[in-house]
Amino acid sequence: MIQKIIKRLLAGVATLLIVYAATFVMAVSIPGNPFQSGDRNMPAEAEQALRARYHMDNNWTFFTEYLAGAIRLDFGPAFTYSDWTCNQIIASALPVSMLIGLLAILIALIIGIPLGVVGAVRRDRLPDFVGLSIVILGISIPTFVTGTAALTLFCVYLKWLPVGGWGTVWHLPLPAITLSLPFIAYIARLTRTSMIGTLECDFIRTARAKGLPERVVIWKHALRVAFLPVLSYLGPATAQAMTGSFVVEKVFGIPGLGQHFVNAALNRDPGLILATVLVFSAMLIALNIVVDLLYGVVDPRIKAAV
Amino acid sequence: MIRNLFLFFIALICALLGLFSLTHREPRADFTYVNPSGIHTLDPARMSWMQDFRVALNLWEGLTTWDPKTTEPVGAAAYFPPGRSADGLTYTFQIREDARWSNGDPVTSRDFVRGWRRAIEPGTSADYAFFLTENIVGAAEYVRWRQETVDALSMLRSRGRLNKTNDELRMILPRSAADLEKRFAEVGLETPDDTTLVVHLRKPCPYFLDLTAFATFLPIHESIEMLRSNEVDSPLTREGLVVYDPQWTKPDYHRNGYPGLVTNGAYSLSDWSFKRRARLSINPYFRSADDIRCKTIDMLEYDNVSASIMAYESGDVDFLTDLTVPYQHELVRLAQSGERPDLKLCAVLATQFLNFNCDSKTVGGAPNPFKDARVRRAFTLATDREKLVSQVLGNGDRIAKSFVPPGAIPGYTPASGIEHNIDRARTLLRDAGYTSGEQLGHIELLVTSNTVRLGEALATMWEDALGVRVELRAQESKTFAQDKISRNFMMARGSWYADYNDPTTFLNCLTTANGNNDTGYSSEKYDALLAKANAEANPATRARLLSDAESLIVETDCPILPISHSTELIAIKPYVKGLYPNARLWFPFRYVSVDR
Repeated sequence: MIQKIIKRLLAGVATLLIVYAATFVMAVSIPGNPFQSGDRNMPAEAEQALRARYHMDNNWTFFTEYLAGAIRLDFGPAFTYSDWTCNQIIASALPVSMLIGLLAILIALIIGIPLGVVGAVRRDRLPDFVGLSIVILGISIPTFVTGTAALTLFCVYLKWLPVGGWGTVWHLPLPAITLSLPFIAYIARLTRTSMIGTLECDFIRTARAKGLPERVVIWKHALRVAFLPVLSYLGPATAQAMTGSFVVEKVFGIPGLGQHFVNAALNRDPGLILATVLVFSAMLIALNIVVDLLYGVVDPRIKAAV
Repeated sequence: MIRNLFLFFIALICALLGLFSLTHREPRADFTYVNPSGIHTLDPARMSWMQDFRVALNLWEGLTTWDPKTTEPVGAAAYFPPGRSADGLTYTFQIREDARWSNGDPVTSRDFVRGWRRAIEPGTSADYAFFLTENIVGAAEYVRWRQETVDALSMLRSRGRLNKTNDELRMILPRSAADLEKRFAEVGLETPDDTTLVVHLRKPCPYFLDLTAFATFLPIHESIEMLRSNEVDSPLTREGLVVYDPQWTKPDYHRNGYPGLVTNGAYSLSDWSFKRRARLSINPYFRSADDIRCKTIDMLEYDNVSASIMAYESGDVDFLTDLTVPYQHELVRLAQSGERPDLKLCAVLATQFLNFNCDSKTVGGAPNPFKDARVRRAFTLATDREKLVSQVLGNGDRIAKSFVPPGAIPGYTPASGIEHNIDRARTLLRDAGYTSGEQLGHIELLVTSNTVRLGEALATMWEDALGVRVELRAQESKTFAQDKISRNFMMARGSWYADYNDPTTFLNCLTTANGNNDTGYSSEKYDALLAKANAEANPATRARLLSDAESLIVETDCPILPISHSTELIAIKPYVKGLYPNARLWFPFRYVSVDR
């Protein structure tokens, strides 16, 4: 088991190195000057001195020095926001995105799983159709629409919650719910499909034959197996919810990590591009390893295969 | 198991929520405004953005400042007016005895020299260092000398020959370090005593007192020296630079006993969290601190203008400086019709225009029809700016026929420009040897991705009037900037915001050597007129020379095609007093009072 974990971790480090190299090449080769701002052109000498200051005058030294820093978890200065280091930016933005993302996934599980189970059990009947409609709405309406609608309704007209910003518990519910909508939809769909298959299995017939109440059959025996596809989806979904909530962050004006993904690239800020990509990749890899391990714990049949 | 998983999940969220609730909330500030694009830097030497300048000029105070109503230069940390020699080349500033830093220290002339010196240092110097290097005796020479050291070291490093035992390095660094003070002494700045600053100018600069209000000219408190990073026994870093720990702009940074950011303006920075908020609190040592009504100012950063407008409508925010939203034209209409008196339009000193590439060949090597001034003039004549401004832009901008906005700079009447006239445009094209528009070949217009609508309107206009075929190339802003600098375009969108209240802030952009001349336009006559104006002492004659120069670029040679003079929409809650919409968008918060 430990050997397998070490193997997975090593593979993860190798993946990160490849991600780093590929991102580096893209970050330094896209046209655009990270030091220029606004309409004013920067004199070539001034740019040269700034490149020297940040050791960007030589791509190879920049590559190795940045990598050495990243291994020590020091991502160096942000060029566009020169008063801050990338570490400070990530430390300020990542917990924000994580909190919103985790809340969204939690909401998605709490709503999505029962929705899927009910859909499977009452297949092709009214509850299933209601569930399906919610799912289709959740998937097809983009979050910038639902987010803006929620913002307008609850914050501007009803004035129940503050508009945008960050700092109190009242800033949390709207973005978390908005972000959870597509995840609710996927989870409900996954649960329903997998539940339908599971309910036809032999062990379910056995459970029913033993005279177990239907409630126990479904929620204890069947769900345990039917949950597996949801679990494997949870890894990437959590990573995506925690780091990819850019649109929701934008709509609600939340100081999360999502905006830096986009802005770092728009600003041609190589330090911040690399830092955000590496953090996101590391999280994605780590969550996938965790999910694979959990898989074995939840379903003994898979233990051997991890 | 699933239950355990859920429990773990919930425990994690509770932990995060717990951390979240620990971030303490201060009571609402006396005055709150939103800065949607956020602070890029609070280092005055490195600033380029209006939003950053606005914060800096409330935190610091230069020798002069701008009157919030008229934007004329008035006294600030120095008495006004300063002594000025008859030839206009020497200014003697007397710093007020009651000018104080936010820790109580008196503001001295050396603090100004420290700030100005830092602003021109290679590796720090940014967009506006040229204000100092172009005007102050010896500054450009000092920078050039410094640059040589940095370049030499950079070259050695990229050849992989830079290490502690390298002889060349051993020589270059100490030699420059030893000469550092001697060389800087040749720069025309003198501090005969703590309150006197003598500035020697390279050439007369009629707008110098306007410049000294600018962020690049702010003083820096001596505590920054605690954060200097350099090689042992040397004032310079290995790269040959003068570098300070970039954290020096933080109020709560205390490495090496650093007291946190010390400023000399009406406010000091009491809290700054990245991309969330900056709180400004009254500087208790400021000379008129008792008269200032708003003791705390919150600057919020919403990454989204729509959200900031909603926060304004719901009353969480008192003031907005940016209302660039897709429905902006509707807001402009409400402001113009007076239905929303809290929305105000500021006619700013800025011009949107097109650059023509004046080189003889395009980057691809094809012959460039726009090298001929007649073709450029024809395109200008064929452009219906009334229609563009009223039907396409819809943002309250005014029609521009000149480069310098009319009526904005006292004593200056801009050139009148040329009117819309399709027949004359066609005649000019024929004169230039093009009997039909198609003969001009493939014409390309480079725009940014957010000015595509303007580009489409222009293309249609020229296609209808001249029969030319125009292709639009829309680019994201950084790629656009790169192509514009390398002149990889035939026509490209441009915009220019005035840096000071003088026509030269616009007109200098088109001189031959200017780094912001994106057109490649080079006219001896134009350069000579500007040089002559520069040397002219009589304001009226100078204005006439500048106006003559301007008529060259908007009537005869037409390297640029002015489209509109910008208007900015701002929102001020009716209960806020003391904010005046002005052409520089300069809002000193010390005059603001809020009566909710």
